[in-house]
Amino acid sequence: MSGNRTDQLIQPGVHYLQGAQACAEGAITAGCRVYAGYPITPATEIMEHAAHRMPQVGGRFIQMEDEIGSVCALLGASWAGVKAMTATSSPGFSLMQEAISFAIMTETPLVIVDVQRPGPGQGYISTGQEDVMQARWGHHGEGSIIALSPASVQDMYDFTIQAFNLSERWRTPVLLMAEETTAHMRERLVVPPPAEIQIVGRTRPQDLGIAPEDYLPYGHAEVPPMPAFGEGYAVNHVSLVHHEDGNVTRYNPEVHFENVSRIHHKIEGHVDEIARLDARWLEDCRHVLICYGAVSRTGVEAVLEAREQRDIPLGFIRLKTLWPFPEDLLRALVPEVDTIFVPEMNLGMMKHPITAALRDRCRRVVSIPSLGSLHSPELILGRIYEELL
Amino acid sequence: MNTHPMLKYLKEEGAAGPRLPHIMCPGCGIGQVLNYALYAVDALIQEDGLRREDFVFISGVGCSSRPASHYLQFDSGWTLHGRALAVATGAVLANPDLKIIVFTGDGDTAAIGGNHFIHACRRNLDLTILCMNNGLYGMTGGQVAPTTPIGRVTTTTPYGNVEEEFDLCRLAQTAGAAYVARWSTAHPRQVIRTIKKGVRKKGTAFVEIMSPCPVHLKQSPSVMFRDLKTNTVPLKKADTPEAAGLIPIGEFCDIDKPDWISRYQGIIDGLGGDDGAYE
Repeated sequence: MSGNRTDQLIQPGVHYLQGAQACAEGAITAGCRVYAGYPITPATEIMEHAAHRMPQVGGRFIQMEDEIGSVCALLGASWAGVKAMTATSSPGFSLMQEAISFAIMTETPLVIVDVQRPGPGQGYISTGQEDVMQARWGHHGEGSIIALSPASVQDMYDFTIQAFNLSERWRTPVLLMAEETTAHMRERLVVPPPAEIQIVGRTRPQDLGIAPEDYLPYGHAEVPPMPAFGEGYAVNHVSLVHHEDGNVTRYNPEVHFENVSRIHHKIEGHVDEIARLDARWLEDCRHVLICYGAVSRTGVEAVLEAREQRDIPLGFIRLKTLWPFPEDLLRALVPEVDTIFVPEMNLGMMKHPITAALRDRCRRVVSIPSLGSLHSPELILGRIYEELL
Repeated sequence: MNTHPMLKYLKEEGAAGPRLPHIMCPGCGIGQVLNYALYAVDALIQEDGLRREDFVFISGVGCSSRPASHYLQFDSGWTLHGRALAVATGAVLANPDLKIIVFTGDGDTAAIGGNHFIHACRRNLDLTILCMNNGLYGMTGGQVAPTTPIGRVTTTTPYGNVEEEFDLCRLAQTAGAAYVARWSTAHPRQVIRTIKKGVRKKGTAFVEIMSPCPVHLKQSPSVMFRDLKTNTVPLKKADTPEAAGLIPIGEFCDIDKPDWISRYQGIIDGLGGDDGAYE
């Protein structure tokens, strides 16, 4: 984009920022130069910061007429060759589901931040993790998704950069499943020097020496190369079931299976490259607490206290990636245990894939729910002691 | 053998297979609109020094949206029902040098995409909207649309339509589009001239092209084509008594005002050097 100002990026060093601001700064550092959004509590601060910052870095910001328009604007921006992001909160995330499905099928890189608030309905404007299943299963049809779960202001910066990198690398929409807690939190952010920040761009047919006359918009590789509008490739973005050349009429079930299973497999077949988790105190543990997002902050406190005060051999795992679900990574880490505790700001959602992954490794999986507020360490500990002491 | 002069802009084989036979029903006006649009694009390439890769065709869902993806040897995006203008908005923001032409229909524009339509016009984004208006939903089998006249029988108004219709041009004009015009498939020269003007217009150009759907309206294509001539009246005569009941055609407005990018770029330029570095 003309007028791209890299001299206006957030400076390396220590900052004191709100999570929402760190997220917008991460996007700008990652190269995002189009932001389209619609106001909604508690996500609006990301948009306001983007409105302030996009002109400064030579990018463009637009407030759209609704969340559907916002996510659709990202499609056009991405096709025109520019990294693009929107942020919303849960009701707005519901409105975006059709376009997420479309972006999966057209293999369009874009980043959506969902600053989760509790539902259903208008629910409340506090915090929650009630959209984690919608992130994976909310869109119609098959198609896997990448969803990250930040837990700090630092994560809001780092994970947003990673979200863009993953989106470009795998040519797919990526979701940053934040929570009100983290978006409104203010704490220390350390911005590394530019040389230490990895920025990934999409592979273009030009990079592979593919001439326009030989170019297949959905061919050449498991992750097809993608030119921008205006580069002479006459690229044709289609979301009907298609052949490698974009043809939609020679339909047959085999083509359908090949088309959709490639899109599924390019994510699910590379979970080890995509998914990340943190693990502590798993050696000799008899129980494990598995959590994600802001709950991992109070979760780790609870585990420490249980270990130190009551001598409970409790391990700790934090999922940094929710989807694709890191089943093999989990199985490689978790030994035979008695009880797995899963505190979540919902009534037990990620408990299900965790149970499916580890049902033969444990006696039971215990959900520790909270709605609308972050678990205190005492809430988590109380439940653990109730079950174990 | 003489080949059609616009064939050079079509793929041999596109998203819908070989370009012939095409997927449009007998008597459908969409093929004509595609032809007129390509004549306009060809003239712009010849006269304005534009290149084929400067043009991008964005379409929604419905009969009118099919040609862009299926037949054109241009950059194109076949988007979601009603969302073509929202997608085009993002493309304009990302690369304002692109000449974006949106292929859409009356249901796509005025019903499911109505919100995006009025806001795209209000923003005066630099793009050209070709709205093919056949007064019903064709692809799904002939249901009532926001452009269907009162009383008309469709598959979802079996006893006649009770709702008033939108005047898409008045809507676009009121919402703020810089250039608005209405013609029909029976006005080829006017449509070609208008599309050229629309693409050259810095701002939103909305061009409504009334296009017959003989299959779902169960009428003869030749009669429908004739009616597009006889049931229309030039806009400047629209207020005369003889024009009662006729559809006004022509240019509704042609205003010079800054487009979205010009206004936004003014803000960026005004920020200057070190202002705003984020500490």
